[in-house]
Amino acid sequence: MPARAIWKGELQLGKHNVGVKFYSAIEDRSVHFHLLHDRDRAPVEQHIVRKDTGEDVPKEQMRKAFSVGPNTAVILQPEELQELVPPESRDIELLRFVPAGAVGDQWYERPYYLGPDDGQADDYFAFAEALARKQVIGISRWVMRKKRYLGAISAVEGYLVMTTLRRAEQVVSFSGIEPAKSATPQANELKLAEQLVKSIEADFDPQQWQNEYRERLCKLIEAKARGEKIKPVRAPKKRAEGSLADTLKASLAAAREKKVA
Amino acid sequence: MPSRKRQRAPEPEPEQDSSPRVRSLWSGTITFGLVSIPVDLLTAVRPRQTAMKLVDSEGHALGRQYHCSKEGKRLDYDDLVRGYETDDGKMVVITDQEFESVAPEMSADIELRSFVPMEQIPALYFQKPYFLAPAGKSAKAYVLLTETMARTGRVAIGSFVMRGHEYLVAIVADNGVLRLDTLRYADEIRTPESIGLPQRSKVAANKVTLFSKQIEALTHKELKISELEDQDARKLQSLVEAKQRERDAVIHPKGAEAAEDTEGGEGAKIIDLMEVLRKSLSKSAVARTAETSQPIDLAERRAQRAARSAPAKKKSAPARAKRKTARKRARRG
Repeated sequence: MPARAIWKGELQLGKHNVGVKFYSAIEDRSVHFHLLHDRDRAPVEQHIVRKDTGEDVPKEQMRKAFSVGPNTAVILQPEELQELVPPESRDIELLRFVPAGAVGDQWYERPYYLGPDDGQADDYFAFAEALARKQVIGISRWVMRKKRYLGAISAVEGYLVMTTLRRAEQVVSFSGIEPAKSATPQANELKLAEQLVKSIEADFDPQQWQNEYRERLCKLIEAKARGEKIKPVRAPKKRAEGSLADTLKASLAAAREKKVA
Repeated sequence: MPSRKRQRAPEPEPEQDSSPRVRSLWSGTITFGLVSIPVDLLTAVRPRQTAMKLVDSEGHALGRQYHCSKEGKRLDYDDLVRGYETDDGKMVVITDQEFESVAPEMSADIELRSFVPMEQIPALYFQKPYFLAPAGKSAKAYVLLTETMARTGRVAIGSFVMRGHEYLVAIVADNGVLRLDTLRYADEIRTPESIGLPQRSKVAANKVTLFSKQIEALTHKELKISELEDQDARKLQSLVEAKQRERDAVIHPKGAEAAEDTEGGEGAKIIDLMEVLRKSLSKSAVARTAETSQPIDLAERRAQRAARSAPAKKKSAPARAKRKTARKRARRG
């Protein structure tokens, strides 16, 4: 069944706007549970209460407070928060294009597939083609469902993908890391480690990875629903001991053995 | 996923943190061939600066509580179990022991199974970044792995289990520090076909040229950080500052819970990581957020945390311990 678009917008490309539809690129596969009371298996309800008295607080008395210091905050009234809601718009502003590597992985938050709006397929695929040829991504800003978003638009196998980005204030980096002498590896250790990396080099193949835990959990649920029980299977794990160089050599030998076999 | 939100345990409160030691989200071992590197996992994302607390109209701190829908009584986390509703409406209860029985034995390991070129991982896969800090006496092996990945331009792919979830991860060397990115599994990512996007049509060469020119005109080598700043936070902060000047609705709540689910609940952990790195790896380590070139001031943060944790000391130790186990339980699954 085709997915439903969650929003429609227009990529602002000078005089040539391209109408696009947003689709979530993520399928939720996690196993969801209900919280129950252990004794009577009745579902639980969440109450919002005053922390000092434990009394329930009706919704109309709830407020949000913004912290301005340790144990100091400012209450914001609903009408004040309402004024902060950005004005609605269909515009997707393209601020700049940068090489794909300019955006580090820690910026990426949530991806959306974009599809062409009605009658826009030619422009849509032409823009995707241009993005792919230039090998760049477009930094974008838009307002969707009363919220401001930042994103990076890219071409993935001929289609447009918009991935939302975290804000600059959220992304942390380090510099000035100069390890102590005792922690600096020797040249021979570096060489061995490099060989070890090369021995297990591969292409990124996401299909190869399955969420085994999720599979086992689903099997357990099915078995319990039928009234059966599953016995846990556990495998012990061995670990090598010795100097770093010796361990690297042993690892390399093991990796080579694996390749031959 | 509103149903999931309701089931989530409240975020740990930063106010409770009175201990100076680092609280990592997870501790375990990276296994690289037969080499093991003990590491601590710490969040690499600071909360958005729009995060707010829940209070009532008079400024009293509010919190979430669970009540039994049948008895109407308040429940502790220890009174809760998780039930899975089957398609035919049957409720299957999964106990803590059963959750544990399906968690892999290697839950304390991140086994690096292959090294791949970074550019091969599409942005679609990246979920959440963390930092890995060397634990114990692992600094040398940690540095070795970091340098080797930097030299070869590869990132490591592996998996590990944290709080009842198995995560596919990429481990990336970044300026001498290892970062762990959780990745989505392939079956969590839709395709143009599964969404029902139209088949790619033939593109007119003149249109591609036209768009290419527009792209070129706006192309730069680097990001402009000011374009990536939190505009919502700026607007919210100026409103709050104005109200504060007028002494309008200024309150002193203690222990109010977050008004919304926000990513990366605690900013303090970033500071913790810097302390760890300085101690175990490098005295010259500097942390900064992308928006500012100013390094984060360690002394100032420590003072803030000390001020925050002062009232928490009044809480009895058993109460704190109880909350801790409760949190662990409710997160599972």
